[in-house]
Amino acid sequence: MTTATSTTATTVKAKRVPAEAGPSRRSPTRRRSTPLTIAMLAVLAYFLLPLFWLLVASTKSTQDLFNTFGLWFSHAPQLLSNIKATFTQDDGVFGRWLLNTVLYAGASALGAALLAAAAGYGFAKYRFRGHGAAFNLVLGAIMIPTTALAIPTYLLFAKAGLVNTPWAVILPSLISPFGLYLMRIYAEDAVPDSLVEAARMDGAGELRIFCTIALRLLAPGLVTVILFTLVATWNNYFLPLIMLNDPNLYPITVGLSSWADQAQNGGAGASSDMFALVVTGSLISIIPLVLAFLLLQRYWQSGLATGGVKQ
Amino acid sequence: MMATTTVNTPVKSPPRRRHGSAGVLFIAPFMVLFLLLFLAPLGYAAYLSLFQERLIGGSTFVGLDNYVTALKDPELLKGIGRVALFFVIQVPVMLLLALCFALALDSGLLRLARVIRLGIFVPYAVPSVIATLMWGYLYGPDFGPFAQISHDLQLPAPHFLSDSWMLGSLANIVTWEFVGYNMIILYAALRTVPGELYEAAAMDGAGAWRIAWSIKLPALRPALTLTLLFSVIGSFQLFNEPKLLMKVAPAVIDSSYTANLYAYSVAFISQQTNYAATVSFILGLVIVIVSYAFLLTANRRRTA
Amino acid sequence: MSGPFSNSPSSLSRRGFLVAAGALSLAACGGGGGGTSGSSSKPVGQADIDKAMKTPTQLTFWTWVPNIDKEVALFEKKYPAVKVKVVNAGQGTPQYTKLRTALKANSGAPDMVQIEFQAIPTFTITDSLLDLRPYGASALKSTFVDWTWGQVSGSGGEIWAIPQDTGPMGMLYRKDIFDQHGIQVPTTWDEFAAAARKLHKADPDVYLTNLAANQVAAWHGLLWQAGAKPYVTSGKSDITVSVDDAVSKKLGEYWGTLAKDGVIGVEPDFTDAWYAALNKGKYATWLTGAWGPAFLSGSAKATSGKWRAAPLPQWDAAKPSSGNWGGSTTAVIRSTKNPVQAAVFAQFLNSDPTSAKMFATEQFFFPATKTLLSEPSFLAEAPAFYGGQKVNQIFADISAQVDPAFQWPPFLDRVATDWTETVGKSLADKTDTVRALGSWQSRITTFAKSQGFTVKAG
Repeated sequence: MTTATSTTATTVKAKRVPAEAGPSRRSPTRRRSTPLTIAMLAVLAYFLLPLFWLLVASTKSTQDLFNTFGLWFSHAPQLLSNIKATFTQDDGVFGRWLLNTVLYAGASALGAALLAAAAGYGFAKYRFRGHGAAFNLVLGAIMIPTTALAIPTYLLFAKAGLVNTPWAVILPSLISPFGLYLMRIYAEDAVPDSLVEAARMDGAGELRIFCTIALRLLAPGLVTVILFTLVATWNNYFLPLIMLNDPNLYPITVGLSSWADQAQNGGAGASSDMFALVVTGSLISIIPLVLAFLLLQRYWQSGLATGGVKQ
Repeated sequence: MMATTTVNTPVKSPPRRRHGSAGVLFIAPFMVLFLLLFLAPLGYAAYLSLFQERLIGGSTFVGLDNYVTALKDPELLKGIGRVALFFVIQVPVMLLLALCFALALDSGLLRLARVIRLGIFVPYAVPSVIATLMWGYLYGPDFGPFAQISHDLQLPAPHFLSDSWMLGSLANIVTWEFVGYNMIILYAALRTVPGELYEAAAMDGAGAWRIAWSIKLPALRPALTLTLLFSVIGSFQLFNEPKLLMKVAPAVIDSSYTANLYAYSVAFISQQTNYAATVSFILGLVIVIVSYAFLLTANRRRTA
Repeated sequence: MSGPFSNSPSSLSRRGFLVAAGALSLAACGGGGGGTSGSSSKPVGQADIDKAMKTPTQLTFWTWVPNIDKEVALFEKKYPAVKVKVVNAGQGTPQYTKLRTALKANSGAPDMVQIEFQAIPTFTITDSLLDLRPYGASALKSTFVDWTWGQVSGSGGEIWAIPQDTGPMGMLYRKDIFDQHGIQVPTTWDEFAAAARKLHKADPDVYLTNLAANQVAAWHGLLWQAGAKPYVTSGKSDITVSVDDAVSKKLGEYWGTLAKDGVIGVEPDFTDAWYAALNKGKYATWLTGAWGPAFLSGSAKATSGKWRAAPLPQWDAAKPSSGNWGGSTTAVIRSTKNPVQAAVFAQFLNSDPTSAKMFATEQFFFPATKTLLSEPSFLAEAPAFYGGQKVNQIFADISAQVDPAFQWPPFLDRVATDWTETVGKSLADKTDTVRALGSWQSRITTFAKSQGFTVKAG
């Protein structure tokens, strides 16, 4: 364990603002490379291409989707009416799905982060019997594929009467082994034992120490876990698909998928126009997460920094 | 003084031991949920895997018969082989790209670095349902844009959804989704390299490549280990993308295309929950073996 | 299966709270759960039925029919005490998967459910459906077209579901493409094959038809038309599987050759590429069920006025026949807590004249009732999409030609997947389809045997 480097790293981190600090640690007159920039912009174009298609496709009616060139607009763009149709289809169930997703992802992310923080702190700062075994058990757990374990989980949840309720989606998402791993590393690094000892000598209880001192220091790591669990739960498809039968409880992924099924299997009248709604709905559903990442950049970057450096 | 000692001897220092029981309380909420929501279904699945249920005749105890059958099952072996191949091809490419992008971003040579960084990362925020929808369209052999452009240029259309290209097309989708995520982990690790090291290297006259090799890569080793570990798990568990592409290419992607997809088909199409549990465990075992083999080699290299 | 975890004594006060919370929400839903409804065929007295229909009840109905609340409203108007909650739990296979999982867990299953004809045996083998005879369903026999009644009847005379709509197979063709290339409307399969070669030779971008490599339902419909009986179940556990008999081989040879010679399309259907193809005139015909005309008019608006309908080409011109593709029924889940109300609902929804007519006029379903199929206003409909042709009349005539004795296997999902991976794949890869039929046969028999059936090869 390179303790020396880690102390230096902490000191350096404390000295400068996380995220954007490129120019401050190099000579400010460093030349920018245009060829490299162009190459990376080409790379960027590749990554944004499907999203560009999604944007263009959202402006088209279903008929235009079939009849016009995919990567450019049609003659009669109708983005606004597509958006309106998306939100009014099936008695406004799309809005319902968005709210469900916010609820599930938000509750799971906050809960998972808190649990991971507490457990990470516990593993980092305390030694007790079964310490190593428990930690390795949790990490090993993510290696077991959950797809066909869905049925045993469903059966157990059914016995508890939790199937087809929001709990069926939120509870399993509260366990984040990656979050635990990250928070443990972060707790070891960001909460010095000396501080904990000092607080103990002042007579503070363990819980008090955690809540008033440790949590504050763990904040960037906490935000990282929140964000990454948010993404994982927001995009979770298989678990809610199995657990939920009532479309009013669907998150956005399962909802859009059910619309896609409807669009595919067609039918006369309303169903035949569903392709445009699936596409527009997909576009709308991506926006919240992208915004969240954009606005919270500085936090998750520094949180990940520690997790990536340590073993 | 006590503090310094604590920092330098991290294992089994008395204060930690003394308050050990508090530690148990801190990990309790997490571990209780873990027990209930993960170990319990896992145990139940293990129990189920010892039985066999038939449409005529109900449920019977068969001991380890399911496991014996699974280990000889050609569909399962084929599925595992395919994800192993996928892993060997896709993961190095993806991590190499992530590494290159992270180095490029960290080099300070780029304009619009923030935009590029965010743009490469955005696909991670897109659920695989939507990602496969978009790529499924782009791959379209008749009306997808690549096909249309080749048609206009009088070139043969690329067969993204054919038998021989399919694994590559899937690899492309997965790479598109996760390069940004891996890049960010590597980039964040690079950002923690203290500026003094670079100044020292510059004073010694080291060029950009030498710096990259001697300073940046070693700093990245733990982060690379982490991303590689997650990639092992992710690629062996490949499920979402092939399942969703099945709709547009049903003749290429069959129900046992990947091991995880096979487990799903056995559970939900053939309704053999017990055998599906068996298949899942075997797949899990393969992943555990590969992961630990990899971790051991990585650790041995580090101490060498 | 009670499992070893139902009585875990450890800490779990949190679990207790959750169970209570869950139980409360479950009660509010009024969903099904361990049922006690009997399987006796003793008729329930009319007085008991009337009493039940006046008891405040909450029923759950899983269906994917769009806008079905209109028909449901008719029911609720007649029986104000009974409220029906309509849930769209998925279309076809995804819904069946959910249903099976819910039945296995004995929790979360609905009272009534939409089941397509072909899926009925898959749910009767597990004793999941309620026999509707005690609730007066036998009286409805003459209301429905004979072959549909055969589809919902069990081997012991049980009535497992009430037919809702049907899909007798016909051929929709592009008159303009036929005229352009001088093609006559084929009336026999030989003529069809010749037309396919002629058309594709004249215009390599166009195919006479597309036989989707993932659509086992179309294959089954064509088998049905050819007089095949691929699955025959007698008793609960005896099954005869003959998907590679002489009739099947005839079809395999026929379609395999056309696919290998590249004169028909084999693209998966109901994908956006397929929709685009229909809109752009890549396929000159579509062999489809009676729901096809309405479907096409909604999905291929760009080609309005150019399509016409005709019967399928025949193997034997002297004995015209057809098969069925699709069509649904309403069934009642055996474990429902409200068997009387659910049974009455299933019957009302599909046999009440106003409700049945609404399915035809609002959802554009092809009817299953004899009255509608001979109703003048229905038969006289002449949509502009089909150039003013009386499409309903054509399909009503076809409906009379559907063989009444076709049976489905009790594990349809498995059979369907196996077809796509053997026969469908052979069409897509242009390999030997007849050999693929043999693979399909052996896959089915192996699976059936492993599931405890006594299998005879036909």
